[in-house]
Amino acid sequence: MEQMVQGILVVNTETIPGMMITETLGVVSGSTVRAKNIGRDITQGLRNIMGGELVKYTELLEESRQEAIGRMVADAMSRGATAIVNVRFATSAVTAGAAELFAYGTAVKAE
Amino acid sequence: MAVGEGTWLVMGLLIALPFLLLALIGILWSVAYPVMLIWAVLFSGKKLDEQIADTNSREVSLRDSLGHDPLTTIDGGYRSDITSSGIVWAGVVFGPSHWHLLIGWFNNLIGGSIDTFQKIVSAGRAEAMQRLRENAIANGWDDVINVRIDTADMAPQGAKSSVKAVEVFAYGTGVKYGN
Repeated sequence: MEQMVQGILVVNTETIPGMMITETLGVVSGSTVRAKNIGRDITQGLRNIMGGELVKYTELLEESRQEAIGRMVADAMSRGATAIVNVRFATSAVTAGAAELFAYGTAVKAE
Repeated sequence: MAVGEGTWLVMGLLIALPFLLLALIGILWSVAYPVMLIWAVLFSGKKLDEQIADTNSREVSLRDSLGHDPLTTIDGGYRSDITSSGIVWAGVVFGPSHWHLLIGWFNNLIGGSIDTFQKIVSAGRAEAMQRLRENAIANGWDDVINVRIDTADMAPQGAKSSVKAVEVFAYGTGVKYGN
């Protein structure tokens, strides 16, 4: 989580503080569907009996989110953007075992 | 022939092996589950209280060291001396114990507010927000603006699943002030 993701500035505000948006380049998005492996399912299922945090699932979603953001950034780079503003995230569970993570935002040129 | 019978026996065992293993896991599970459920009945409430107390104390100590809460939900109207910004996020997957599920089920029969689940979800949310603060500080941001919090169900309705949990995901834009 550095300030620039592969040279592109990513923020979830409508404007970039201290910068001027000169051109908008449309909506960019990235998504990833991650399934947990069966070993994790069993250990996390056991952990779930006791309640509380399911650490492996937290890690899994963290990795997946990185990947979704990476894809969104790649999309923005292909459009020649320098920043992505107003980023939003959405999560949906496709089935009990697989989660889809979706990141989207507006690609802009900013200076 | 004796040799032929022996090979048939070995082959039969090899074919049956996965099923035997499956049966063994089933037997172990049926023995282990009640033990773990009793464990959950005895200790899950305490564990939850400890978790809430831990999150709370980390939050208070961070707020004391900074002098203010770094998180705000505003977008726009921010200070003009911001030198850099970038996205920051934190997530946590949090679930009720099976004992709490049972209590919740009984509460459901009576109706009204289910305090158990409210307590669990808000504990998860407080933890996610605290991690967002810690992430932001670790990445060198002074404040986080435009914080949004998402909650997603890890076990969708209708799906047969052993895991009952929600994912709380908090994100915002980290900003750094140049003095």
